[in-house]
Amino acid sequence: MALLADLFAGRLLDPGYAEAEARRAASGRPAPRGRPRGAGALLVLMLVGVLLAAAGAQARRSEPVAAEQRARLLAQIRARADDNDALQRRLERVRAETERARAMALARSAEGRRVRGELSAAAAAAAATPMSGDGLVVTVDDADPPEQGGGAGDGGRVYDQDLQVLVNGLWAAGAVAIAVNGQRLTPTTAIRSAGEAVLVDYRPLSGPYEVTAVGDPARMLDAFGGSAADRRMRVLEERYGIRYEIRRVEGVRLPAAGVLRLRHARAAAP
Amino acid sequence: MIALIGLAAGVALGLLLEPDVPLWLQPYLPIAIVAALDALFGGLRARLEGIFDEKVFVVSFVGNTVIAALIVFLGDQLGVGSQLSTGVVVVLGIRIFSNAAAIRRKLFGA
Repeated sequence: MALLADLFAGRLLDPGYAEAEARRAASGRPAPRGRPRGAGALLVLMLVGVLLAAAGAQARRSEPVAAEQRARLLAQIRARADDNDALQRRLERVRAETERARAMALARSAEGRRVRGELSAAAAAAAATPMSGDGLVVTVDDADPPEQGGGAGDGGRVYDQDLQVLVNGLWAAGAVAIAVNGQRLTPTTAIRSAGEAVLVDYRPLSGPYEVTAVGDPARMLDAFGGSAADRRMRVLEERYGIRYEIRRVEGVRLPAAGVLRLRHARAAAP
Repeated sequence: MIALIGLAAGVALGLLLEPDVPLWLQPYLPIAIVAALDALFGGLRARLEGIFDEKVFVVSFVGNTVIAALIVFLGDQLGVGSQLSTGVVVVLGIRIFSNAAAIRRKLFGA
């Protein structure tokens, strides 16, 4: 605490010069004032200058390196996402094959046919199979970035909660299957946010967000219009200028959900 | 005046030569600069108070930079490099500001 105490007392923090002065006075040498400045101080000052310039150059040089690393990371993310999509397609293909084989095996007996009916109902509910039919597409997007000097600021951004409310509203309106930007939602899919990105099933999505709901369009429109979710989105549209549109689509096809974890089923003992 | 010329000449020299700072030295460069600034302000204050001493100036500069770099090096070895760097910057910052305050009092009387 001596440093702080000295500081508050207003004492010299570096007594070196004062002591040198006292020594000089004691030995009776002439005062240094007016004496030509020696080479040592000049050298040190030049060294400080070189240090400053070197540090500045270093900081300038490291900027493009950081940008390059960022670009590399971005490319890597895209490549991995593409790989992921390819694997997803393969999974879908293999799943369809399995589905066919299972259907054939189950079609042999009356009991099997009954189980098959139950299974397909359960699979549809769990978003394990692709779904197609008519439905609604709700498009939401962030508001245009506010112009300089005053604007909606961060309010014009579509948050994960907005999407959650919208999706829940569509479920409540009688949707049988929902996908966000082509990402099928299961009953347990999480819609979250990480930083500024909205994650659906832990995959980052970017706007515009297209929420596709398969179901009877006329009935869904009736039930959804004026619901809590619809009112909330309208308020957001009015107040913050986010984009919000509903349109009917025909013959839309939603893929099966990506990851399905078996929670209760166990493999039969061989 | 000579001091300013020396400083400007150093900056020009550094910009012209663009010395490549070796990788192992890079973490110590910012700390060394803060330490050098401390010595610089101390010297300026002493000059304004009429007690500037070249030997003290040179020794304080060399000592400051070397010890600051050593502390950071030691911290890196112990795994507390960033914390020790922060400590060095805080202490040197306090000294720089108190010296700057003394210089301000001398120059502007405020």
